Amino acid sequence: MAKPSQSDKISWLKQPGVLAALPASLFLIIGFAGPLLLVVGYSFMPSKTFSLLQAPTFENYTSIISDSYYISFFWSLAMALTTVVLLFIICYPIAYGMARLFNRWANLVTALIAIPILISENIRLFGWVLILLKNGIFDGSMQSLFDMSISGLLFTVPAIILGLVYVYLPFTLFPLVIGISMVPEALKEAASDLGATRWQIFREIELPLSMPGLMIGGILTFVLVLGSLAEAKILGGQAIVMIADDIESSFTFAQNWPKGSALSVLLIALSGTIVFFLFKRVDLDRVIGRR
Amino acid sequence: MVELSEPFLELSGITKRFGSFVAVDDVNLEITEGEFFTLVGPSGSGKTTMIRMLVGMDQPSDGEMRLQGRVMNDLPANKRPTCMVFQSLALFPHKSVGENIEFSMKIAGKDKAKRRARVDQLMEQLRLPLSYYDKSVTQCSGGERQRIALARALAFDPQILFFDEPLSALDFRLRKALEKELKDIHRETGKTFVYITHSLEEAMVMSDRIAIMRKGRIVQVGTPHEIYNTPKNKFVAQFMGEVNTLSVEKAGENTLKVTGFDEIFTVTNDLSDFTTGFLIIRPEVMKIGKSAAGMKNKIKGITFNDYALGSRVQYQIRIDHFDEPWLVERLQDEPYEGRRGDTVDIGWRPEDSILVSS
Amino acid sequence: MATSRSQGLSRRLIILWTTLVIVFLYAPMVAVVLASFSKQRYFKFPIQSWTDKWYQKAFSSLSVRELLWTSLSVAALVTIISVVLAFLGALAFARYDWKGRKLYQRLILLPIFFPQAVLGLAMLLWFSAIGVTTSWQTAVFAHLVWITPIVILIMSIQVYSFDPALEEAAYDLGATRWQVLTEITLPILSPGIISGAIFAFLLSWGNFPLSLFTTGADQTIPEWLYAKMVSGYTPMVPTLGSLTLSSAAVFLLTAYIIWLAISARRRRMENR
Repeated sequence: MAKPSQSDKISWLKQPGVLAALPASLFLIIGFAGPLLLVVGYSFMPSKTFSLLQAPTFENYTSIISDSYYISFFWSLAMALTTVVLLFIICYPIAYGMARLFNRWANLVTALIAIPILISENIRLFGWVLILLKNGIFDGSMQSLFDMSISGLLFTVPAIILGLVYVYLPFTLFPLVIGISMVPEALKEAASDLGATRWQIFREIELPLSMPGLMIGGILTFVLVLGSLAEAKILGGQAIVMIADDIESSFTFAQNWPKGSALSVLLIALSGTIVFFLFKRVDLDRVIGRR
Repeated sequence: MVELSEPFLELSGITKRFGSFVAVDDVNLEITEGEFFTLVGPSGSGKTTMIRMLVGMDQPSDGEMRLQGRVMNDLPANKRPTCMVFQSLALFPHKSVGENIEFSMKIAGKDKAKRRARVDQLMEQLRLPLSYYDKSVTQCSGGERQRIALARALAFDPQILFFDEPLSALDFRLRKALEKELKDIHRETGKTFVYITHSLEEAMVMSDRIAIMRKGRIVQVGTPHEIYNTPKNKFVAQFMGEVNTLSVEKAGENTLKVTGFDEIFTVTNDLSDFTTGFLIIRPEVMKIGKSAAGMKNKIKGITFNDYALGSRVQYQIRIDHFDEPWLVERLQDEPYEGRRGDTVDIGWRPEDSILVSS
Repeated sequence: MATSRSQGLSRRLIILWTTLVIVFLYAPMVAVVLASFSKQRYFKFPIQSWTDKWYQKAFSSLSVRELLWTSLSVAALVTIISVVLAFLGALAFARYDWKGRKLYQRLILLPIFFPQAVLGLAMLLWFSAIGVTTSWQTAVFAHLVWITPIVILIMSIQVYSFDPALEEAAYDLGATRWQVLTEITLPILSPGIISGAIFAFLLSWGNFPLSLFTTGADQTIPEWLYAKMVSGYTPMVPTLGSLTLSSAAVFLLTAYIIWLAISARRRRMENR
């Protein structure tokens, strides 16, 4: 006779939800969890080695401080924060428009803003290079129209921020739209009826109720910028070094897998904590399913 | 010899447990072929769980279901000769009216000509314009969608047709009209209908027999007349609507005393096995004012409210020590002649009350 | 509430702002297309002489064709596999209620939040640890890890509004499980499936960080563009860039036209 816990497990397995979840889950365990564990494993291996079968050590982690890798962490965090703040300011009016004002046009605006995501960011960033370059579109127009030369725009920190804001705009905008549309119009009308000013309605009703969307947008953008690479390299050159850049050069240029792994683990831990915090606070069924 | 006394649909000891919660508790029912049988109960009474087991969407934890003697428990829903009209109707939004109705025939592999003929026949029977065949179901009105759902189920040619509260979302007028239509269809097709609803009133209009369910158990089974006039207990009596209820104990051979008070009332029931229980008097059998003068059972009270209920008027009378107001209903063209605040007599005949022991 | 005059003003401001942002979004792509027609070897604005010789070169180049083939194969395979995995995954995400679903929802979305470059490097480690040489096939695997959760998310949005009673009704009317799937579930969910497929294809087509580390000797178009951008710039870069852009545009336009045709057909049916 089977033990009760065993038949419980089997009947759990037979549920259609579990069966449907298996293929993708198994795939991700092999393709996502596996590599991650490997990275964690490598991070404890002696520097510049390639084998996992050695005595673990903390040297990679300690050298992060001593070799001033923390500078790249700092820059990445600073960039992420700046980008999120700027994007909130830029996107909120648009999100408000899409959720409340545009009506029939909202779908068109959604499509127009979503399409650039589907086009390689390299190409789009390259376009900015062409615009900001010396004798590029901006500089060249200035020269022919006003006889002024504005060079030195490229390979600066503001250029990187421009690139980050540009690439990650949709990732802030769409969750924001969902968040704002979660505020029932009737609640705002009731608050107004009870004497609240526009600002009070925003503070007491709109902001708290659209929080799930705001959090998803903010955290998604933050985490993605934290781990970004292309913007800083293409538009910034050597102006600053993002953490993902350091990770990449550890693996390739410096041929130091354990060091790169340690940096990755720190980055993952940082992003992971923030995302974990997000998931605890947000009910995915409500936001995605609009239930 | 052929056994003719076999019931058409027989349920014995049907029980459904969800963990420690018992949703359906030892239900035994026999349903005759061709009857319109309704399960009535408040939300949470287990009637939806019951019907899902009958259709095959859920398995009973215990008990047996037999259709014409054949055990149905292990038969999956798509193999059972039964069909359900869902509460949400579940019309396929991506298919037209005709495609919805013919769905079961298409699944069974019947050829196009046969399907079309049958669909046209059903559409006519249910008074749907034949031009609707290609129309999208999302464009149809509430009443039309009900009829499409019914036609789709009838096209399956089931032995039993189940209904899961299909009319509860409709407004009053539409509901009344569809109740009559359903009854007509039942008569025309002669099929067995098993219907569930929370409205006893709805059940009374359409059913041959009713079963009242409460907390997973069957409380009473009977014809509408029986349920209305001889309810088995207070729950069934009060389920119909507002009634006057008194907690009583036996006083004499045919008299009862109100528990905790002095009033004595006469009944025509046999009290030999009675000790305590409830006396139930429906508002519409109560007399008020002059007409109460000659009543055997009489009390004095003060009128304090009246409500217009369409063709009737309901009066609320406050009696001295009773907490609940007493309810009296009169036909609109025979109203009470006094004014609010009047002291008045109300009464009823001993044969008009209902006595239950629990 | 605000007076209707100030409401009208803020409404107009918002529309203006949105238009500016949209122009901002498309400006660099316009720049790329412009640059591809410039005769000069090094980009200089305003463009003095126009030519299409770079396009001629692109169409006749063998290496361009190889790049195209690699990018296309990867994207096609990723689309097919991710749609199948994600369809089932979305059903588990939004349709069925089961113990462990909330945990599943969170875990399955994790790869989206992950820095792609780090994921690509981790996969490189993984492949070398199990002894697999990287090629365009391993890139397919890497793309899937990041793209499948995104497709699950997109499909779930539609699956959430799917009424389970429809499947039950079909089953009750005698359909087998397979018939329920083909007659009811798939047709109703097809918009979500198609959107998911489009996203999968284009996200794979344009992906750089994952491809960079996992394609090995093979190269996709975004990889080539990046390599040329940082060293060895040629006007082929904007050329190939605009070709990629226009192919994505054509792809989307075709999907849009097909969608218009299907809705028109549906509307014709309703108006009978």
